[in-house]
Order: sequence, then C-alpha cells, then structure tokens
Amino acid sequence: MSKLATAEYASEAQAGFTHRTAMEEAARCLLCHDAPCSAGCPAGTDPGRFIRSIRFRNPKGAAETIRENNILGGSCARICPCDKLCEEACSRSGIDRPIEIGKLQRYAMEQENIFHLKTRRPPQEKKALRVACVGAGPASLACAAALAEAGYGVTIFEAEAKAGGMLTYGVPPMRLPQEVIDRDIDAVRGLGVEFVFNTRVGRDIGLGDLKAKGFAAVFIGAGLWRSKLPDTEGAELDGVLTAVDFLKNARSTGGRTELEGKSVVVIGGGDVAMDCAATAKLTGAQSVAIYYRRTLEEAPANADELRYVFSLGVPIVTNFAPARFVGDGGKLKSAEFKGRDGKSFASVTADVVVFAAGQAPEDMTRLAGDLRLTQEGLIDADGSGHTNLPFVFAAGDAVNGGKTAVEAVAEGKAVAVEMIARLENAPKDGANRDGKEVR
Amino acid sequence: MMAVRKDLSIEYLGVKCENPFFLSSSPVGGNYDMVAKCFEAGWGGVFFKTIGIFVADECSPRFDNNGKEGLPWIGFKNMEQISDKPTEQNFEYLARLKRDYPDKVVVSSIMGSDEDEWKKLAKLSEQAGVDLIEGNFSCPQMTSHAMGSDVGSSPELVKQYSEAVTSVTDIPFIAKMTPNITNMNLPARAAALGGAKGISAINTIKSITNIDFEHMTAMPVVDGKSSISGYSGAAVRPIALRFCALLAQDALLRDAEFSGIGGVETWRDALEFLLVGCRNIQVTTAVMQYGYRIVEDMISGLSHFMEERGYDDLDALIGQALPNIIPAEELNRDFRIIPNIDRDKCVGCGRCYISCCDGAHQAIDWEEDARRPAINDKCVGCHLCLNVCPVAGCITPGEIRFKEGRRHTDILLKRYYD
Ligand SMILES: Cc1cc2nc3c(=O)[nH]c(=O)nc-3n(C[C@H](O)[C@H](O)[C@H](O)COP(=O)(O)OP(=O)(O)OC[C@H]3O[C@@H](n4cnc5c(N)ncnc54)[C@H](O)[C@@H]3O)c2cc1C
Ligand SMILES: Cc1cc2nc3c(=O)[nH]c(=O)nc-3n(C[C@H](O)[C@H](O)[C@H](O)COP(=O)(O)O)c2cc1C
Ligand code: SF4
Ligand code: SF4
Ligand code: SF4
Repeated sequence: MSKLATAEYASEAQAGFTHRTAMEEAARCLLCHDAPCSAGCPAGTDPGRFIRSIRFRNPKGAAETIRENNILGGSCARICPCDKLCEEACSRSGIDRPIEIGKLQRYAMEQENIFHLKTRRPPQEKKALRVACVGAGPASLACAAALAEAGYGVTIFEAEAKAGGMLTYGVPPMRLPQEVIDRDIDAVRGLGVEFVFNTRVGRDIGLGDLKAKGFAAVFIGAGLWRSKLPDTEGAELDGVLTAVDFLKNARSTGGRTELEGKSVVVIGGGDVAMDCAATAKLTGAQSVAIYYRRTLEEAPANADELRYVFSLGVPIVTNFAPARFVGDGGKLKSAEFKGRDGKSFASVTADVVVFAAGQAPEDMTRLAGDLRLTQEGLIDADGSGHTNLPFVFAAGDAVNGGKTAVEAVAEGKAVAVEMIARLENAPKDGANRDGKEVR
Repeated sequence: MMAVRKDLSIEYLGVKCENPFFLSSSPVGGNYDMVAKCFEAGWGGVFFKTIGIFVADECSPRFDNNGKEGLPWIGFKNMEQISDKPTEQNFEYLARLKRDYPDKVVVSSIMGSDEDEWKKLAKLSEQAGVDLIEGNFSCPQMTSHAMGSDVGSSPELVKQYSEAVTSVTDIPFIAKMTPNITNMNLPARAAALGGAKGISAINTIKSITNIDFEHMTAMPVVDGKSSISGYSGAAVRPIALRFCALLAQDALLRDAEFSGIGGVETWRDALEFLLVGCRNIQVTTAVMQYGYRIVEDMISGLSHFMEERGYDDLDALIGQALPNIIPAEELNRDFRIIPNIDRDKCVGCGRCYISCCDGAHQAIDWEEDARRPAINDKCVGCHLCLNVCPVAGCITPGEIRFKEGRRHTDILLKRYYD
C-alpha cells in the first residue's frame, strides 16, 4: 500500500459506520450521567442522548434527537471540529480515546435518510407575522427553522444561486458532500421556509424595503465573504488567489480548477488552508505545498484535517511568512518567504498562490447605512442578536468574526428564541417597531 | 417534540397501562422515591420489591456479572432476597404511590411462608390500593424452603397459595414463575386453577457466574464463601422467551395473560416478548446497569417500529410469532440453503473456513493466495459460516437446493441480517 491516500475531489474522503461498527463504537460509550459530550456541543445536539439511542437499538430515535436539536445535524456530523467540542469533553478519554461522536452522528443521519424520516414538521397553527433572513448559511437556516416551527412565515434572501453559505461554497465536497447539505436544507424547506435566490440585500433589495414588504423582523446571517489579501508585494499578480474565491470556483465548477501541471502554494495554517491544499491536490495540481508562518502546534487547523492533507502528500512548511510574490508579465512565477528566525529565506516556483489568511465581512453598511458595526466591520450585535436597529437581529460569522458552522447554528437558534419573544410582545412594545432602540 | 410517538397503551388484566414497560420486582422499585422517579422517566408501572412478613437480612457483597470479549454484564448474578424494609413501611409506599400517580400502575409483589401470611399480605395490598398483586413463587435464594422457588416448583403449593390470595381479594392475582424447573406449564396451570389471572415469567435462574481463584469459591465472595443464586440480564432472555412462548401456546392457559421478564434492555427485546404472547414487559437488570432512562428508547423505538410497519395498536402485535414457533418435527426438512459469499465484502479473515472445518462439514475451500473462501458441494446449509462472519451482509442465504426426491415448494427465506 502506498503511504499516500488516493482520493477524488467529489467523493467523500472518510467512510461511515455500518450498523455493526456503529454498535461497536456505541458500546464503547460510557453512557455518562450528565453527559459531558452533550455539554460540549454548542448547538445542544445532545450526543449523550443520541449515542444512547444507537446503543439501545433505536437509530431512528437518534436521528430525531439530532434533527430536533440541530437542523444542520447532517452537515455538522461531517465538518464539526469534534476534537475541540464534544469529543474533547468525552469521559472515555480517561480510559483510552474519545468516542467517535461525529461519525456516530453521521451514521444516525444516514439512517434518517434511508428511512425517509421527517422529524420536524411545520406547525398546525401559523402566525400572521413574517420574518426575513438575509443569507442562507447555517446561522440563517437555523434561525429560519426555529421561527418557522413557531409558526412565523419566513423568507430567506440569498445572494448566491444556492443555499448553504460556506457549506455549499467553501467547504470542499470530499469533507461535505453536497447531498448532505441539501438534505439539511430540505429539512428547513420542509418547515415551510421560502428561499429567494440571486438576491443580494443591500443591492437588489434594501433592508428598508423588507420592512415595507411587511416583514416584522429581519435576521442577518451574512457571513464573512471578503477575503483578506495581504499587502505583500506582488499580491495583485495574476495567479494570487483568495481562499474563498478559489474554493467557490472549485465547488461551482465541480472541481474544474484547471490546475493540471501547476505548482500551487497555499498560505495559512487553518482549516481553510487545508481545504485549499486538498482541493488543489485533488483537482490535478502537480505539486502543492502549504506555508505557514507559525509552528504546527500553533496552527489552528483541526488535527484530522492536518492528517488528511499529509495523507495526500502535501507538505507543510512552518515558520515561513510570505515576503514577496514575483511575476513575469503580470503572471505569478514564484513566491518568497522569510523565516521566523529572521535569517532563513525560501523562494519557491509557484503558478498559483492561494491565500487562506482569514475572511472579513463585506461592507455591511450597504445593508443599512445606520447599522452599527465593530471596528473590524463586523455587525455589532449583543449576545441575543440585537443590533442597534429595532427588530433587526444578526448572528453567525458576520457577528462572531468567523467560527464554526455549529456555532452559527447555535447562535441562529438562540436568536430565534429572542426574536420570538420580541415578536410575541410586539403589539405591546409596538413603539419599538417604529424606531426606538430595543436594547 | 415532533418525534414519532405511538399510542402504546394496553390493558393488562383489565388495568389500563399507558405502555407495557414495567419495572420488575427488585431493588429498582424498592421505595417511594425510586418508583416516583421511574414514573417520571416514562415507565408505565411497577412491580414493587417483594414484600413478606419475613424481612430480609442481606449478605455483602451480593452481585456479580459475567461477560465475553470485553463486554461485561452479559449476565448478572444476585444473592438478594425479598425486601429488607419493614412490611408496614412498604405498604405505606405503595399507598402513597397509588395516590400520587393514579394513572400509573402499581403492583405489589408478595411472598408468604404459609397460607395466613399470603392472605395477610394480599389484604394489606388491597388496603394500599394497588392495581394488581403478584405472588413471588420464584426467588431462588430464600433462606427457608417455605418460600421462593422451592414453593414455585411445587404445583400443589402454588395452587394452595394462589387460592389463599384469591379467596381474600378480587384484585387480579399474577403468579411469578421460577425457571428452575423443567416444565413451567405445570405450576402455571396450578396457579390458574388456584384463581391466578396472570402469569409472570421468568424469575432468576440458579447459577454460578464465575469461580474465584483467590478464595476457591464462587463469586461474589462473602467472607471467603459464596452460594448458588439467581442469574438474570441479557443472557437469560432466550430462556425467558422460550418459557413465555410455551405458556402462551398452552391451551389450558388460554384465559391467562402473560407478563414477560428476562434480559429486556431495548425495544426490540420487549417486542420479542410481545410477539410471543406477553401483554406486559418487566425489567430489572438493564435498569440496574443503565438506569430508568432506558425506557425512553423503548418507547421511541417501539413507536418507530409500529410507524414503519403500519401498526396503530399494540394489541395487534401480541402473540404474532406464536403460530410460527412449531415443534421441531413439523419443520420442513426438504431443502438446504447454500450460503452466498460476497467476495467483495469479504475481508479474508478465514473465520468461516475455520468454523466450517472444525465445527461443520469441511464445505469451505480456502483460496490461499486470494485469501477467499469458496463453498464446495459438501455444504449442508447449516449457516454456521453466516453466524461467524464478522462482515455484515457478506455471507447471506443463497441458492435453495431441494434434497433428492423431495417436493419442490416455495420456501420463505430470511433475507436481512443485522
Ligand atoms: C473553507 C472553509 C472551511 C470551513 N470548514 C469548516 C469546518 O470544517 N467546520 C466548521 O464548523 N466550520 C467550517 N467553516 C466555517 C463555517 O463554514 C462558517 O462558520 C459558517 O458557514 C458560518 O455560517 P453563517 O451562516 O454565519 O455564514 P455563511 O455560511 O457565510 O453564510 C452567509 C450567507 O449569506 C449570504 N449573503 C451574504 N451577504 C448577503 C446579502 N447581502 N444578501 C443576501 N445574502 C447574503 C452568503 O452568500 C451566504 O450564503 C469553514 C469555512 C470555510 C470558508
Ligand atoms: C438484585 C435483584 C433482586 C431481585 N429481587 C426480586 C424480588 O424481590 N422479587 C422478585 O419477584 N424478583 C426479584 N428479582 C428478579 C427480577 O424481578 C427478574 O424476574 C429477573 O431479574 C429477570 O429479569 P431481568 O433480566 O430484567 O433482570 C430480582 C432480581 C435482581 C437482579
Ligand atoms: S462523554 Fe463520551 S463516554 Fe460519556 S456519554 Fe458522551 S460520548 Fe459517551
Ligand atoms: S452452511 Fe455450514 S456447511 Fe455450508 S459452508 Fe457454511 S458452515 Fe459450511
Ligand atoms: S468469515 Fe466472512 S470475511 Fe472472513 S473469510 Fe469468511 S466470508 Fe470472508
């Protein structure tokens, strides 16, 4: 067997559990009292509970628990950094190693699909009030689901042609197959949530227009869609790309990145950098290397992701920061790095440099001129999602500065509870709806 | 919660039960607070810890378990007797439980050592307001031969004490059987003749789970010694199912209703007891190991099963398997089913080969280079290989071959193995 894994861009890298192997793993679970894993899940997916269902031969019940608590349970099962969340908390680590919670969650969600379970259904009684959500990423989807379940009419306005946000346009398909996201989105749609695509709020329609159209409240889950390009010399060269552009292009073309025979250098040490490297490798690049300015220990990337790119044969050069990009006729030819020790220097040929140095919000004032932002340009919202504007709420990456899908879900869910509370009282504090600050 | 929830209510001996899942008589239902907690968790009712005039004086330690290949608690051994609480206190618990949880079913479990004690305990049960009374004829570790499984293996005594109870109260009486007997139907019929309306089976099986090499005695070690005593948990379920099926198939017991006990942990286990004719399910060992919470997945799992199969009423499931459990001499022996081995799923462990060579009919050839098994024409269709293969769906029932000169008929095949 080769040391390196062979894989395809569009097919999932990791195999799931079968009934038997899922039971074997569930049998390792200690079935803890006051399960620490459950406390470790930001979205309250309750792994302690669903693993118990698997253990007691009730995988459908497990799927219900997951879906009830986390409308994006299928996607989260694939991409959650479990080693930092539920699995980090797992008591079994005190004996040997944590339970593979993400993989058990995936197993349960596969059962949901096999048995066509519909756990969440629209309520019998609908409310007259309507709510708009901006963006169809995890935060909005979770918020919309909770609102729809409470009877509100919910419409999601999405700039792109498809729902899912970064899950559809960022995370590569070998980690998160599109059909998994689509099933999660179907669960939202099944609650009666409507989607309006190719509509950018702030350009195609204003926040004010939404109010005029009768939406009693607005949730903003716009994410972080502006990639930070460094002010490194040569960053404007043809061949220097941002991670989100690169990944989005790969996903929307089904992996036709036209990298055959090319040398690709990815800069960064987070999951996004790993995704870019894996995508480049699996879509045909001749050579791929990651350069990271700190040590491997300091790299924020999840351990599994690091292992995965290693398994694809992608090296990671640490303690080297980009110094200069050198081109010829406007086209990138090489990249130069300087060492953290102040002495080392590296120059590597590169046809493409992918910069994965983090995302920033787009100009949020385009949504509403008077929307208060933080210094970094994030939406300034409090813990319950209130912005400075009445009945305008926000959460997810656009507020927290970029965390994880499951945290976006958790926030969207929590803000929905707050929105419902406010809308229930709407007649009483009607004054707020016409301009007074709600906070 | 939008989860699938079916109506799991069922009548047992005329008492409406919100579901068939009950605690069996044991420490899991030993005082007021425990039972209150189990009710909150979702159990439909409780068979309270056996109450006698005799108050138990227990040994320590009193439990042991045995396992296999890393999995503990396949079976569980206990040396406990009946309640160690004062008789009056127990009846006070029962009265309070019935008052505070009128919709839950409260059953007293009683054990006397003579007719008068049985009558007295029955009367006290009635005064406490219980829904049903169970007679414990089956504890295998009593310290007197006048009580427990020694009584339960004597049809005369079972009948006599059942009569004692039913002569003083109209509350339906259930006789709890011991499996430490060859033919359980005899004491069960005796109980019915004595007026019992229900039969519970099984109590624990006399056992030695492990021998301790430190003190050269059985486990658990009590001051260097041990005793033979009752075995329960997952390992006894097959034995319990057999006893229950035989009771439910007995024409002489056609008016009796049955409560199945023994190794129930999941909804599937419970369903098995329903399918062999039980209208009520009791659990102890799994609760001792995992807690009351296991009832949540029993309720949910059974609901899903009913949803999937289109059942709306639990009654429709009761006894469904009974007509298909037949004497060995009536089985169709005209054919053999040759297994099919999926060479792609096979991981090449060779376990089927070893087992067929050493435990069956040398009907598997081993392709050394390919590390794959191939079935030859000595195969008798025993399916040892299917049972031993570690890969799900790798060895499955394949071709049906009729024996020489036998009639070719349509054969029903099991297709899906977990
Ligand atoms: C490459 C990559 C890999 C990642 N890997 C992981 C991972 O493994 N695990 C993990 O948990 N998280 C991961 N994340 C992070 C995760 O994707 C985000 O935290 C999460 O998607 C945030 O959700 P959100 O709803 O806040 O925003 P987004 O997912 O960004 O969704 C925002 C949506 O709003 C739309 N939008 C923006 N502005 C407007 C507007 N004005 N009008 C209408 N629509 C608008 C966007 O088109 C988008 O669809 C990754 C992110 C990236 C980029
Ligand atoms: C610790 C322990 C104590 C028990 N005490 C009683 C009892 O007091 N009365 C009784 O009828 N059965 C008693 N039993 C038997 C159980 O009620 C039950 O019949 C048996 O354990 C099989 O079911 P299980 O496999 O679910 O445990 C006891 C069992 C255990 C394990
Ligand atoms: S913390 Fe780990 S061992 Fe405990 S219930 Fe959760 S998964 Fe199981
Ligand atoms: S069915 Fe029995 S005889 Fe046939 S191959 Fe399997 S183990 Fe051997
Ligand atoms: S037991 Fe199953 S996996 Fe092992 S060799 Fe036989 S067929 Fe293959």
